[in-house]
Amino acid sequence: MQFVKSFRFALVSTLLFTAHLVTADAKQIQLPPETAKLPESDLAGYKLATQKCTICHSVDYIQFQAPGMNQAQWTSEVAKMKHSYGAELSAAEIKSIGAYLAVVYGTAKATDSEVLVVSVVDMSAAEKAEAELDVQVLLDTNGCLGCHALDAKLLGPSFKAIAVKYKSDVQAQAMLARSIQQGGVGKWGQIPMPPIAGLSDKQAEALAAFIMAP
Amino acid sequence: MTDNKDPIVASRRRFIRNAGALALTAPLISRAALDTGEGVTFAGGERPLVQFPEKRKLILVHSRPPHLETPFSVFNEGVITSNDAFYVRYHLANFPTLIDVEDYRLTVRGAVKNRLSLSLDELKAIAESVEVVAVNQCSGNSRGYSKPRVFGAQLSNGAMGNAKWTGVPLRAVLQKAGVVADAAQVYFNGLDKPVLPGTPDFRKALDIEHALSAEPLLAWAMNDEDLPFLNGYPLKLIVPGYFGTYWVKHLSDIVVLDHAFKGHDAYFMNKAYRVPDNDCMCIAPGTAADKTRPISTLPVRSFITSVTAGGHLPVARRVELKGIAFDSGSSIKTVDVSIDGGRTWKAATLGENLGRFSFREWTLATTFTQKGDAILMVRASNNNAEVQPLKADWNPGGYRRHAIESTAVTIF
Repeated sequence: MQFVKSFRFALVSTLLFTAHLVTADAKQIQLPPETAKLPESDLAGYKLATQKCTICHSVDYIQFQAPGMNQAQWTSEVAKMKHSYGAELSAAEIKSIGAYLAVVYGTAKATDSEVLVVSVVDMSAAEKAEAELDVQVLLDTNGCLGCHALDAKLLGPSFKAIAVKYKSDVQAQAMLARSIQQGGVGKWGQIPMPPIAGLSDKQAEALAAFIMAP
Repeated sequence: MTDNKDPIVASRRRFIRNAGALALTAPLISRAALDTGEGVTFAGGERPLVQFPEKRKLILVHSRPPHLETPFSVFNEGVITSNDAFYVRYHLANFPTLIDVEDYRLTVRGAVKNRLSLSLDELKAIAESVEVVAVNQCSGNSRGYSKPRVFGAQLSNGAMGNAKWTGVPLRAVLQKAGVVADAAQVYFNGLDKPVLPGTPDFRKALDIEHALSAEPLLAWAMNDEDLPFLNGYPLKLIVPGYFGTYWVKHLSDIVVLDHAFKGHDAYFMNKAYRVPDNDCMCIAPGTAADKTRPISTLPVRSFITSVTAGGHLPVARRVELKGIAFDSGSSIKTVDVSIDGGRTWKAATLGENLGRFSFREWTLATTFTQKGDAILMVRASNNNAEVQPLKADWNPGGYRRHAIESTAVTIF
């Protein structure tokens, strides 16, 4: 049953297992899981879109837009996500995501020269981070700090809370690295974390080690 | 917990009741296989029917934040839209999934003499409760039919609904707080929040004269039940005659301003939900407006509900066509129906009047004399001398579509 108008069992179990008192007047819902996925592509915009767009909304928000939009129109829509809605996107990322979306959902072709020319991501920051495994650069370039802070709950749990929760679990660091790469929902509430699919295994491990460090 | 209070049981009963009603009229209604696009096409695939809490299966617009459209067949079930069929639209994905009314407070602050922090019970005790039947229609309802197409939720005609709302007048609460003499606007905020710090919050403003008028309501009940969670439990701002964008869900904060609402979190007033600032609120397709203003009231609109596009109706038999009409509150004056693509029109009979903000049912008995294709059309006028236009106009947001609807059917 998806809908719970709380009753005695919920009250008792809540008292037993959490500090928060849920009274008989509480109403709780459980939202169904998201199922839509972006179409896979070798274009650089695919990984970027998977990682950046789904921070704020599900893939079906994009999928059920109008057909027949061109690359300029899709790029302008992605730019709106930065300028109107505060998405953390560089100018190059906007062009790259716009090109990818125009190919999979609009009129552009993966072989168009206009698509190819913007589908090259400036690797300098990423390569540098890969070489040095610079956690600060990884946190900044992957938008982690939009949802997490060291010591305070934002949209997601604080890094400290994660470390505390898993401190006696020897598998935790590896599990955390996988969660960062693949995303997840349910461990810390119903707001899902998008997959940070652009991370290499080493980068994900570096971030996991940073989070778990005492 | 009794069965009556269990929404699952209640919705099951409603379903059985509705299924019975459909069966009775089935010989006259032959619909094409369920098409969740209802004539609208999408960039990638077809929209599925999905099950969300307290809702029957509705059409998925997007899942996070939740956005669900009512299948159009629902509007033939009656002029009141069932709570479990009512459309859902959030803008921001960071909203609570547990709300305890013991903890819930409505704050009234800003340019007032007494700041208030009210529990739901305290709010209910402020004034005698009132009821209004009113249409909530999304600004972008029918956006999917914009030509040329525009970005935004590609809605068919199901982002609307009509319900009986129970609450206290907004002005009773504002009067209790004591609005200062130079108050200009009031803004409303709910418990939903943005995911990223850079995203504007969803806040909406009304001019002080409107806020202090008899119409806006702070409602806790919808069709005599608690508001469904996804429609704004435990309290929703009801703005009869105005588009749904003003009907703030999970209402938690009312702020009186001595100036016009502005700033980063005024985005959904000052940047979005705006229409061209001219008489038709329209511009040439593909162009940009020089000047815009906030979208406001519902234009007069009507639909046929008893048959949908691609449907079949019998020849040489009495057929009762049925539908709905509504406007922003001047009341529907006439509804005319054409069964010959707009060459001739007949006046339909208006049904029971549930109030000037409600859907108004109309019916017209007719007999088709020829087999083959037919175009049915419906056109409403209101007491403000507004009549639905034949041709749809265009604006960049794909807002407030209200042209005469045409329904292509086959007479057999």
